[in-house]
Amino acid sequence: MKNSNRILLIFCLPAFLLYSTFVLYPALGGFWYSLTNWNGLDPTYGDYVGFSNYKELLGDENFKQSLLFTSKYVIYMVILQNIIALLLAVIIESFEKTKNVFRTIFFFPNMISMIVGGFIWLFIFTRVFPYLADTIGLMILDESWIGNPQYSFYSILILSLWGSVGYLMIIYIAALQNIPKQLLEAARIDGASKLQINWHIVRPLIANSITIGVFIALSTSFKVFDQVYALTGGGPGRATQVVSLNIFSEAFAMQSRFGYASAKAVVLFVLILGITLIQLLVMKRKEVEM
Amino acid sequence: MKKLFILMSVLVSVFVITGCENNEDDLREVELDVFMSFPRFQEQFEDYFELFEQKMLEEENIIVKINLEMPSSDTAQQLLQARLSSDDAPDVYTLHAIADIPDYYEAGYLADLSDAEFTNSVYDSVLESVTYDGKIVALPLESLAWGYLYNKDIFAQYNLTPPQTLSEMEEVVNTLNANDQTPFLLAFQESWIPQLLMALSLGGMINSEEPNFIENMNSGTGSYADIDEVFGIIDLIMENGTERAFETGGAAGSADFANGEAAMWVQGPWMSGSILDVNPDMNIGLAPLPVTNNPDTTMINLSTSTSLGVSPTSENKDIAIKLVNFILDAEHSSDLFAELKFNPLSSVHTYDTFPWVDEAMAYVAQGKAYLEKGLPNGVTDETALMLQEYYLGDKTKQQVIDAIDAAWQSAIDNQ
Repeated sequence: MKNSNRILLIFCLPAFLLYSTFVLYPALGGFWYSLTNWNGLDPTYGDYVGFSNYKELLGDENFKQSLLFTSKYVIYMVILQNIIALLLAVIIESFEKTKNVFRTIFFFPNMISMIVGGFIWLFIFTRVFPYLADTIGLMILDESWIGNPQYSFYSILILSLWGSVGYLMIIYIAALQNIPKQLLEAARIDGASKLQINWHIVRPLIANSITIGVFIALSTSFKVFDQVYALTGGGPGRATQVVSLNIFSEAFAMQSRFGYASAKAVVLFVLILGITLIQLLVMKRKEVEM
Repeated sequence: MKKLFILMSVLVSVFVITGCENNEDDLREVELDVFMSFPRFQEQFEDYFELFEQKMLEEENIIVKINLEMPSSDTAQQLLQARLSSDDAPDVYTLHAIADIPDYYEAGYLADLSDAEFTNSVYDSVLESVTYDGKIVALPLESLAWGYLYNKDIFAQYNLTPPQTLSEMEEVVNTLNANDQTPFLLAFQESWIPQLLMALSLGGMINSEEPNFIENMNSGTGSYADIDEVFGIIDLIMENGTERAFETGGAAGSADFANGEAAMWVQGPWMSGSILDVNPDMNIGLAPLPVTNNPDTTMINLSTSTSLGVSPTSENKDIAIKLVNFILDAEHSSDLFAELKFNPLSSVHTYDTFPWVDEAMAYVAQGKAYLEKGLPNGVTDETALMLQEYYLGDKTKQQVIDAIDAAWQSAIDNQ
């Protein structure tokens, strides 16, 4: 091994140690629990039950339902989050003086914990909207934003987009700023229209940022928890129960089946791993290097 | 700082009184970790534990330092279970008498308190609820006489009295509707609240008409279809309730109820504090919920919820048990319980009770009451979710029955 590589490895060590203690070790532990019938309480960690938790998962309608709901959420989020973030980035970059102000405003929600953001929006949906509907007659707001499953899906989307778009926007702004000015100028002199410049020059040059953007949106929205927990708690009933919430309630509510919940978590992990790997492979191919 | 100052001054006075016989080695120092899911009572308990610290120093020459941890009740159970199973048990902690004691005891997390001093003064009926496997394993804190809440002023205005049968309840509802008064408050945002409908009506049924229900369910021969009369009152309440039920949580519901938005609320006396915060003049009434036209099904639920257990692995178990005893201290306990608006549960309690407690106790005296029985884990949670969906119309009565039956069955299978 080259000396410089060894030094680099040593520099990684502290981070790796922390990562192993707080992420790898619990994750492996979780896999072990998924093979037991531990109830989260028993000091002997339950009995080994083999793969029976996984077998039971196949027939679990509530888990399937929550997977479907999460997939729908992921599709909406990946598309909307990236489109809105990119649009915001383009628009804000075109401002001259107020650039920084708007950048801060749109990034701001990202700095608030989503639980807090959730409670803020819960108040807006349950108190402010009905108030607006009653007093100034904005009847479009007079819906059950939390109680009607059809609308509460959009409530969750609104909250999640509000909280996460700013982060991707910063990535896209950085990508846009990295595009060499001379390329754009040359294209303009050659008579390319705005649309043509955006499609043929800007798009390929920010492709690697789009890969990152889609990757972040995919992996975070599969794991969505706090937004839903704060806003609807998965309700009414199980109408907005996402996978992580289903896992959480299996482990800490219901019958406290920690082992079974761990099996669900392992399945979710494998799913996210698979889908993001495919996404990275496909999108990496389309990137160009300068 | 204030705490430190008190501690120091007490220390000094102890030295003076005992003529400085004690050198510092004689002072035992003890730290106790206390875990309680009562953030709303943080101040009261901090003050109370300060009294305990003083008492221990004066009487037994022990410096006790109490580390009080008060997570919110949503997360308390997760935190507690994580700490218990990672060998980091708090010395004293709160748990639910009926829902938690069996599991916690079986896992070996509860010390036997049968010989503790408090057991002599607690009423027998309450003591029964914290007894498991023949041993007293916790100190009861919150003991409840539970029925639905009603607004006494609204009832008086329309000359109504709490109905004792389902058809009497229908008449009350009709009278209220005719006077443009919404009969029931619905606050369904938190799923445990609609679940109370089932808890109260089921309790009425299985303690009168269907006494074998739990045994039948446990042996796999029963079904919620056997007690589907409960849907009579559940439907009546859901059809005659306030709007925007899913936009209303417990706190908002208390405010609405205090402001007279509805005449009745299927909630419990534990909400009295937050209702009176909004409207201190509110006349809260409490009555048993009628289930069928048989008045025998109309009963008050007697139960114990939050209790205080001691960890058997505590390094200072003797002091931990003294602390638990101190909760029912003859001199101070009445003040604490009165301030917390808890029901009296021991002969040391001499404070005036609240009107709704007296009202409930009048029914208890007539024998219209039963002791809460525990349901298998997960059944209550499933009921909560199903009733939300039932109210939405997403689930039919039959689907609700099937889902709860399945949850019960799976709880038995996984035991």
